[in-house]
Amino acid sequence: MNKENRYRIVLIEPSEIVAAGIASIIERHPDFVIEQTLANPDYLRTNSNYDIIIINPAVIDYNDRLDIRSYFTGTDAAIVALTNSSYEESVLRQYDECIGIYDNAPRIVQKLRNAMEQNAQNPKNELNELSSRERDILAAVAKGKTNKEIADEFNISIYTVISHRRNISQKLGINSIPGLTVYAIMNKLVDMSDFG
Amino acid sequence: MNNKETTYTRRMKVADLLASDGNLLSILQRLGIKLGFGEATVADICNRYGISTELFLMICNIYSFHDYRPQTANLVSSDIKSITAYLRASHRYYVETCFPAIHNGIHNLVKELDEVSRKLIDKFYDDYDSEITNHFRYEEDTVFPYIDSLLADSCDGRGKYSIHQFEENHSNISEKLNDLKNIIAKYLGEEYSSPLRYSLLADIYTIESDLSKHSLIENRLLIPLVEKLENRHE
Repeated sequence: MNKENRYRIVLIEPSEIVAAGIASIIERHPDFVIEQTLANPDYLRTNSNYDIIIINPAVIDYNDRLDIRSYFTGTDAAIVALTNSSYEESVLRQYDECIGIYDNAPRIVQKLRNAMEQNAQNPKNELNELSSRERDILAAVAKGKTNKEIADEFNISIYTVISHRRNISQKLGINSIPGLTVYAIMNKLVDMSDFG
Repeated sequence: MNNKETTYTRRMKVADLLASDGNLLSILQRLGIKLGFGEATVADICNRYGISTELFLMICNIYSFHDYRPQTANLVSSDIKSITAYLRASHRYYVETCFPAIHNGIHNLVKELDEVSRKLIDKFYDDYDSEITNHFRYEEDTVFPYIDSLLADSCDGRGKYSIHQFEENHSNISEKLNDLKNIIAKYLGEEYSSPLRYSLLADIYTIESDLSKHSLIENRLLIPLVEKLENRHE
């Protein structure tokens, strides 16, 4: 495999020793390259095209652990757990594979391949397509409704509205309300007549 | 980055400065430096035009090296006047040269569009245009005169205003420009002229990057220097 075709990996592991160890094992293999190593997921560049995210589940807040896919909405990479302790099965089941720190090199490579295969079968959320809920919320934003009004209308919390709006802007690359309005009208989510 | 070898120096020829980064052309233009400078060095030109050499080099470094972090330690309060003069010249350059080009591009593009999209994009751009013009006017009518009064050591401005208000007011004016870029590149259909859109987008990218350097000069140079001045007055 030449350099460009290698699978790109981001490694999220708080222990420098573990991170360096697994990176050196993986990088010995010509098919894989570690693009980035992070101590926690906050600095993950979600717009980058990684093939595999290897993450220690401990770095994710307990409440978010059970919904790992929605934690990484910006990517369709395979997600692999790297564990040095035991987790409930319901936590680990969401991952495409699970690497333990006692796995040997061939086993780790095998698991990365399994993860890629597993991930290929996962239903893909259309990355930059808005979901129908997002389209409804975008239409409401374009009509000039406030977060509070939208929360009441859809019977969701203001925080959920804010989170939807962040995801919409991230998907479209449009942040300002006038910009979102232009998009909404051009895509017929709202009608000019809504504006009198 | 503060590595002296990779940044510009006062003994460099202006011609070499341009040869290493053509983007600096517009800096010379807005500073009113006449072409035909021959073999003059940076220091020669700065002396001739009464520009602080230190400041001129910082501005060039800011424009050329994206990881350059200017330090205010070598600047003195008399440089503040040069900074506001530069910012004014920069505003004039945007208003007289850059925005008309974009406006012209938009105007040619929307001629092709259906009526709804034409109205939308026209209005979107007009709103952006008045927003940024107001922003420049606010700086020139409120912020810079306040700084002048601090420099003149007069009592007029003091207490009424502080540079912190400017920081708060310094809202993100590049957001809409970025939205416009995406609308033109991604969301107008393929049926509309690509050559027009490519050249319009190139103009938008250029001014977007220039405006980000402009803000950097305000945030990293002007505001810290004025804060120092305010503290001295207290």
